[in-house]
Amino acid sequence: MKIPYSWLKEFIDTRLSPAQAQEALTMAGVEVSSCRFLGEGLDSVVTARILEMRPHPEADRLSLCKVTDGSTTFGIVCGAKNMKAGDAVALAKTGARLPNGVEIKKAKIRGQASEGMLCSEQELKLAEASAGIMILPEDTVPGKPIADALGLSDWLLEVEITPNRGDCLSVLGVAREIASITGEKVVLPDVSFPEEGEPIGDLVRIDVSDPELCPRYTARAISGVTIAPSPDWMRRRLTLCGIRPINNIVDVTNYLLLEVGQPMHAFDLDRLRGLRIDVRAPKETLAFTTLDGSERKIDPGMLLIRDGEGPVAVAGVMGGANSEVVDGTTRVVFESAHFSPSSIRRTAKRLGLSSEASYRFERGVDPAGTVYAADRAVSLLSRFAPLSVAKGMIDAGGESVKPRTVPFRPERVNRIMGRVYAPGACMEIFARLGFPVADDGTGTWNVTVPTHRFDIEREIDLVEEVARLSGYDSIPTTYPESKAPEFSGDDRFVDIQERAFDFLRGRGFSQAVNFSFVGGRTWERLGTFLGFDPADAVRLVNPISDDATLMRPHLLTGLLSNAADNVRRFIDDVRLYEGGKAFGKSYVEGHFEEARLGVILCGKRLPGDWSGADTPADFFDMKGVVEPLLLHLCPSPVHVVPTCLRPFFEEGKAADILRDGEIVGWFGAIRKELLVSFELPGPVFYGEIRLLKATASPPPPGRYAPLPKFPPVFRDVACVFPTGVPVGDVLSMVREASHEVEEAGVFDIFTGEKIGEGKKSVGIRVKLQSLDRTLTDAEVHSIHSKIVKLLENRFGGKIRTS
Amino acid sequence: MPGTSEQIARLREEGMAVIAAARSESDLLDAKGRFFGKKGAVSGILKGVAALPMEERKAVGELANRARTELESAFDARLSGMREKERLLREGRDRIDVTLPGRGSMPGHRHPVSQTMSEIISVFRRLGFSVQGGPDVETDYYNFEALNFPPEHPARDMQDTFYIESAAGDLVLRTHTSPVQIRTMERMKPPVRIIAPGTVYRSDSDITHSPMFHQVEGLAVDRDITMADLKGLLTEFCRMTFGPTKPVRFRPSYFPFTEPSAEMDIQCVICGGSGCRVCKESGWLEILGAGMVDPSVFGFVGYDPEEYAGFAFGMGIERIAMLRHGISDIRLLFENDIRFLSQF
Ligand SMILES: [Zn+2]
Repeated sequence: MKIPYSWLKEFIDTRLSPAQAQEALTMAGVEVSSCRFLGEGLDSVVTARILEMRPHPEADRLSLCKVTDGSTTFGIVCGAKNMKAGDAVALAKTGARLPNGVEIKKAKIRGQASEGMLCSEQELKLAEASAGIMILPEDTVPGKPIADALGLSDWLLEVEITPNRGDCLSVLGVAREIASITGEKVVLPDVSFPEEGEPIGDLVRIDVSDPELCPRYTARAISGVTIAPSPDWMRRRLTLCGIRPINNIVDVTNYLLLEVGQPMHAFDLDRLRGLRIDVRAPKETLAFTTLDGSERKIDPGMLLIRDGEGPVAVAGVMGGANSEVVDGTTRVVFESAHFSPSSIRRTAKRLGLSSEASYRFERGVDPAGTVYAADRAVSLLSRFAPLSVAKGMIDAGGESVKPRTVPFRPERVNRIMGRVYAPGACMEIFARLGFPVADDGTGTWNVTVPTHRFDIEREIDLVEEVARLSGYDSIPTTYPESKAPEFSGDDRFVDIQERAFDFLRGRGFSQAVNFSFVGGRTWERLGTFLGFDPADAVRLVNPISDDATLMRPHLLTGLLSNAADNVRRFIDDVRLYEGGKAFGKSYVEGHFEEARLGVILCGKRLPGDWSGADTPADFFDMKGVVEPLLLHLCPSPVHVVPTCLRPFFEEGKAADILRDGEIVGWFGAIRKELLVSFELPGPVFYGEIRLLKATASPPPPGRYAPLPKFPPVFRDVACVFPTGVPVGDVLSMVREASHEVEEAGVFDIFTGEKIGEGKKSVGIRVKLQSLDRTLTDAEVHSIHSKIVKLLENRFGGKIRTS
Repeated sequence: MPGTSEQIARLREEGMAVIAAARSESDLLDAKGRFFGKKGAVSGILKGVAALPMEERKAVGELANRARTELESAFDARLSGMREKERLLREGRDRIDVTLPGRGSMPGHRHPVSQTMSEIISVFRRLGFSVQGGPDVETDYYNFEALNFPPEHPARDMQDTFYIESAAGDLVLRTHTSPVQIRTMERMKPPVRIIAPGTVYRSDSDITHSPMFHQVEGLAVDRDITMADLKGLLTEFCRMTFGPTKPVRFRPSYFPFTEPSAEMDIQCVICGGSGCRVCKESGWLEILGAGMVDPSVFGFVGYDPEEYAGFAFGMGIERIAMLRHGISDIRLLFENDIRFLSQF
């Protein structure tokens, strides 16, 4: 909220300068985010009067003016035509640097000397645009600083009010806050005025049928009023605070909203059918046009102000077009009411309509303030508009407004804050706040809280008042007593994740972070290729865009588009990983979330390699990352098996990774259709790991095995198999073939004409070893024969004897 | 002879420049002659030193000797470099070029948000906090109600919420990591000392707001926890994160689930406190929100507020990372441009 400093000064004659007030309020919890001097750049601009004016001899569009600041006469060449001799104007003298950055220098314009400039409102940054120069009121005295003449020797404070401090959404509220900081006194302007009209009860009948939603309804009536613009000072203040001036009646209600925080509404009395007001929520849905011209659907339960025939306002939110003050209005009813915050909030939310009034009612308004606001409005108006005030006021529910008493133990504030506050100091703070204290010596005080501090209901609220008004600077810095730290499952997870990130970093992968939501459009289009089941999607009700409608079921699409984006930026070798959650529906808990790690790879196998090979990365480069990563995180064996469960991979180039019989991850080559749709040129390889499942059962510390004392023997077997035989199975079989097989590996693999269609040649190196003796030739031969036989029988292998 | 030291310095400079500029061995040897020969510049200076009055001679002499040694060793290094290069050219076949890149990848890069988060986690773990996680898809109860945001409360406007389709209609994407506080306190009795890092979501998007971002939340509950402990811990945290000399301030604020509440500011890292656009001319930057756990939150988890007190704090990681690295547009953090990531 914006508050002019001069307005604050009308309520509290504080010794704090604007800058000091900004600092003091901020450090007491009412943040003043800026404090701007309104006269910035107006130093050398003064009021002046035009003595004479004649056309420029050389240029039709220019005129020559003689102006005086009361002591000196200046010759000015001016491009505007909207002034005449005798007008009061704003003169920027040479040397002035205007708010729009223009510097005023002595100049010769078409042969005529110009000793300054006559300013427009736009040049002084008082308006967005202006036609011609600014003409000041006739009675302006020349030679005064323009800032003084326009009320710009002022500061505008911008106050950020937290939702609990609705009481500070007004000049009065902020003045009270200054009083509780400095101990200075808030003085309310006098609101006396003669009441000469008919008794208000004879003019209008007011009923509150739903007192739950409207605890208090206060009204005043005036007659004989002429609708006209408000005085300049009022229009200026409203404009500074961001409210557009309308007319004297509407402006005064807005002025009071800003000044004391009480939202008010003005009805044209003669447009209230049956001259009556009823505050009541309808039982049925109906349509109503608010004064912004929109037709609103009013649901049962939304509080309305009705006249004798139907609704005239949505209570506390916005008035209706049918009863608003218009040019011919002469009799006005001012409503100054208190509405239930939650009811106003519900209504405003449902109508999608937030106003200055509803904003304040939602955050709370002082229920005791209705009468003062109504009186202040009438009193202000009576100062600049002829009118007659009806006798008396209507005040329904006024008797129920009472201050609250809250118990407070001075010892409690010490306990919470960790420093000692003397009881006397607490007393003094409550005195500054205007909270009377009763201390009956039991150790518990009874603190009476005035109705404008509706946020204070509990002892802890009083503790906070003492703490913040004593200043947080006075809180010492201590440390919580140290205890043996817990080590949770999530600590372990963080460690695992860190190890995974470090491993991948070491392998040249960089970390990506993508949004957890993914694009509905892409997903509906590519769904089957992405393995996406619309029925399983966790959907957002109010997505921020069409590209963020679902929670991602895996990490693939984020990394795929990252790869595509980077390739488009001429980075062909992409190596990225991401740690994050995948989401889906689950029958047990409604939905599930799982920590995953995605890895993507495309481009060259060895970026930056200079050997000239330039080999592109392939499936086994991805396998060579995810498999060791899993072993790095948890040293128990994993099994890689072909899979057809993942439609985002190319058929036959996809694998699942199993550990202890459970799928802990998958990897493969991204299928063509996806590459095309993401505009990725070459093959792309992707792997995803279920981090928690993959590390669920770390093996116990391994037992030591004695080292062999006798030399090993190596045997190579070259064998031709049908292409479909999995080499992994062959190796497992060889390892199992005999106790003496220590290790079996592939040293060579090829296909070709020599071997024949549908066949592949695999060279297997077997390491044979015994713990207790050197193997004899006969033993080696026998094991070799056994292996050969098994290869032939189990896998249809044929030994090559080149 | 005033100015001898200046002469020495100039001579040294000139010598170094000539060495660097020499294109061939003969160039270099020529230069050596000019500087170190009998009539060379160095000899001239040394002679000059001898003429100095006794009291200056020692200091200036040392200076001259140091300059001579430095120049000589620079000549020697350059000469041996040139000869080695020539030799390599001659016999190149037997040698390898040690300057070629090594085989295999250079390390990749950590994302700045993840890196900052990881550092913050380790600071608090060192201070005795253990990590707790929680779901991103939360219920209204954990995200709001049990944190003392009643339905229809304007404090709910502080966080623009994403809702998730569900039968009961009560699922949201968590707007903060604070629900983990409730889940933890429901599960265990004090003492509690946890941090909850994680992803959070708010329906807001511009150069400083992202619909998804990261937070680290902290909670400590025990019999004797005070606001002074909170201030001490957070001051220490800021020292460890932003440097021991960075001024901090602690000022009152409001969060529904803490009371009294506070915000911690550090002196602006851009302008050093004099006021700039980033700190909105205030000289301070808001770093985190904190406060004493509100008694009504204890009510929701069945802790007795007369017996226990606690504090909670939370901070946005993107903001801290952006301040640390001078990143002005939050969207850069989610584009995953390798040219950007490679800078960290
Ligand atoms: Zn700054």
